[in-house]
Amino acid sequence: MNIRKLKWLSAAAALTLATASIAEASPPAVSQSIEPATIALGEASRLTIATSGSRTPDITPPMVAGLEFLAVGQSQRVESVNGVTTSTNSVTYDVIPREAGVYTIPGATAGAAPVVLTVNPGGGAKSPNSVGGMTVPQVASGNPAAAPAHMNADGTAFVRLRLAKHELYVGETIPVDIEVGMRDGLVASLNGLPTLNGDEFTLNKLSSEPQRTEEVIDGQPFTLLTWHSVLSAIKPGTLSLTVETPLTVRMQTRARPDAGLLGEAGLDDFFNDPMFQNFFGRTTEKDVTVASKPADFTVLALPTRDRPADFAGAVGHFSLTTDLSDRTAAVGDPVTLRMHVTGTGSFARVTAPLLQDAGHWKTYAPTSTFKEEDGIGYNGEKTFEEPVIATQAGVQTLPPVSFSWFDPSSRQYVQARTAPLSIDVTPAAIDGSVAHEIRPPASPSAPPQRNAVADATTTSGLRADHVINGRGTVSLTPYYYQPKYLGVPSALLLAFSGLWFWQRRRELAATEAATAKPSLDPQPLVQVMDDARAAGDPDLFFKSARAALQRNLASQWQLTPEAITLEEVNARIGPTSDVARLFALADETAYAGIRLSPIDYQQWTTFVRGHINARAIS
Amino acid sequence: MKGTVATLSLSVTLIALMALGVAYADIPEQAPIPSTYSAPALYNLGNFYARMGRPALAVLNYERARVFAPSDPDVQANLRLVRESVGTPKPTRSWLSQHDRWSNPNVLYWVGLFGLVLAGSSLLLRRATSTHRSALGACAGIGAAAMTLVLADASATSSVLSESVAMYATPASASPISGAEPLFTVPLADVVSVEDKHAGFELIIDSQGHKGWVASRDLQPVITPSGAPREIHKVIRAPAT
Repeated sequence: MNIRKLKWLSAAAALTLATASIAEASPPAVSQSIEPATIALGEASRLTIATSGSRTPDITPPMVAGLEFLAVGQSQRVESVNGVTTSTNSVTYDVIPREAGVYTIPGATAGAAPVVLTVNPGGGAKSPNSVGGMTVPQVASGNPAAAPAHMNADGTAFVRLRLAKHELYVGETIPVDIEVGMRDGLVASLNGLPTLNGDEFTLNKLSSEPQRTEEVIDGQPFTLLTWHSVLSAIKPGTLSLTVETPLTVRMQTRARPDAGLLGEAGLDDFFNDPMFQNFFGRTTEKDVTVASKPADFTVLALPTRDRPADFAGAVGHFSLTTDLSDRTAAVGDPVTLRMHVTGTGSFARVTAPLLQDAGHWKTYAPTSTFKEEDGIGYNGEKTFEEPVIATQAGVQTLPPVSFSWFDPSSRQYVQARTAPLSIDVTPAAIDGSVAHEIRPPASPSAPPQRNAVADATTTSGLRADHVINGRGTVSLTPYYYQPKYLGVPSALLLAFSGLWFWQRRRELAATEAATAKPSLDPQPLVQVMDDARAAGDPDLFFKSARAALQRNLASQWQLTPEAITLEEVNARIGPTSDVARLFALADETAYAGIRLSPIDYQQWTTFVRGHINARAIS
Repeated sequence: MKGTVATLSLSVTLIALMALGVAYADIPEQAPIPSTYSAPALYNLGNFYARMGRPALAVLNYERARVFAPSDPDVQANLRLVRESVGTPKPTRSWLSQHDRWSNPNVLYWVGLFGLVLAGSSLLLRRATSTHRSALGACAGIGAAAMTLVLADASATSSVLSESVAMYATPASASPISGAEPLFTVPLADVVSVEDKHAGFELIIDSQGHKGWVASRDLQPVITPSGAPREIHKVIRAPAT
């Protein structure tokens, strides 16, 4: 079966179904509901009007004094059962009250029952636009700042900006809704988050899960994705802003049916219907970028006149309050000063309020947390927690805290200043020294911390501080890695090494002297004999004479001089020899002492010389 | 012999006192906050930052306290608590590396110095005299043991010299250039070991063994090279992490 025959069969089937549905037409059923039925002033409720049946009635927005209706979506579902076609339409409105009261919203058509909306002055049910339990501020309906849908060339998608206003100050943040409409069946995917086109504006981070609604534009169903965020300008001037989004769209490969029974024009729309195209796979995908219509802004510079000295760039509507974690403390105990900045505006530019003239207080850098009320960072509370420590006992006054911002409504700077806070400071428990100022601040009466992130690491579980005894060191580097400290052991090591070597050298010299081979030359001893003879010292004379003979005989007998004793001489030469007599006289002289005449000296000298000379000749 | 031992003891005492005088000569008399480093002061500072919700600075000061008191149970408990509270992974250290340091290295320095004097003097005396050789040999052994102890501690402490704490959860890349593709993210308050430095980047190994280049500004060394005495003063006024 070729495509041409298939077209004819499909057309015939469609005509049959249309004829049958007209014949079986039934009156439509209309219902409407509102959720929630009770809200607070400033919130929004959602009205849904649903119709079902073969004929769709015209639905007009309700008109109720004090209520504003903003069309946020429309959906349509067509069912065909046994040849009977039923269409279900629903239109959704955001209902925004202007004042508190009980409102009755009449039925949109004759058959619809009215619904009742109760608006309390404050504290009602959450808005249907709540995200994560927080009410998202909607850009007001019917706002002239809402730009019309700016379709891309083939009408498959659009990007639309809803802005609260078009005149703002540098640094001022304004809520913005970015809407991306995608025609059902013709947009394959969203390939990224919307981005700003231009460097003059900044946009808060967009959620990856936008609000999803349905809307019918020019009779075509669109899926509408809405991101709520805040926008701010970073420089003055007349500026233009567009937002673009990458998409993948399905492109129709349009067929050119031949003119036939029903004519070309009559079947053209039918064959190019997305459902028909998708069914027969006659589409191709293409990545495109869809941009919004340019939105023009007048960005004003912040006035320099009357600008407070502590102004840090915050623009909006704020209020400032302070409180203390504890009204009593000891000297050295830290107390947390909490400064709350609440309101709407550029919280990113809200810096810590200044504590003025903190004379008797030691202050530390504060930490900050931001609790947003709307999910987009426009409305909320920024809390700064600053540890302060009293240095004097008594009833001390914590000085005022000031914070400045620029109010775009009144077009002037505002400076808030809190009242001083008093605290009863008792003397320090130990000695009040500075070193003890960082004892644990936790006390049973201390209120819980608001900062959940800080709670995780600052409250229970920490072991108590230590008492600081003595003085520390001036460097984190251990002594043995500091050059100046390494010098001491190095010098000691060198000194000990030097002493050891000196001692070793001395010992070696002594050992060498002790183990040296004794000299066998008798001549020096003969000289000693002569000296002893001249001095009249018989003891030294005979000792040196004996030693000279010992050396002389030692070389002859191959013994050491010490081995030449009287016994050895007696054994070898005989006890009557002159050598034996000289050895005996030497011993006798040493113990008994004898006197020698000069002749005796001469004779013994001659004998010794002769003995030595004889040995030398031999 | 008694006179020799007395002279030796007096010499050691004099050397120690002289060294102490050099060490504390430039400590300021009064400071608004702890101006010198000691384990209790650094531990208290770590507690202070932990209570302020600054885990990185708390871990940094606890790690510095561990340099001077490596076996202090309070330091270890609070360090573990702060790490767990911010989800910093537990460092993978061996049992030996966890127990190789047990005392204040500065105290050990003086112990080592005493050991050096004792061992050197004993060896010299033992060589010079023939009496009390056993006692002198024992003294030399004690001195040598003390020196060995200090050398072992110095060896174990050397790794701390290259340690830093991540002040932020910071990306680590394969090369030391800005904009490089990150390999992994170093967790907040993680203790990393620095292996190299280049042009504002440091090659680190994190507690889990991952290796990469991290911007130097995101790290704070446990032991500052300069050893500036006012370091605590600067750190306590550092911007919030």
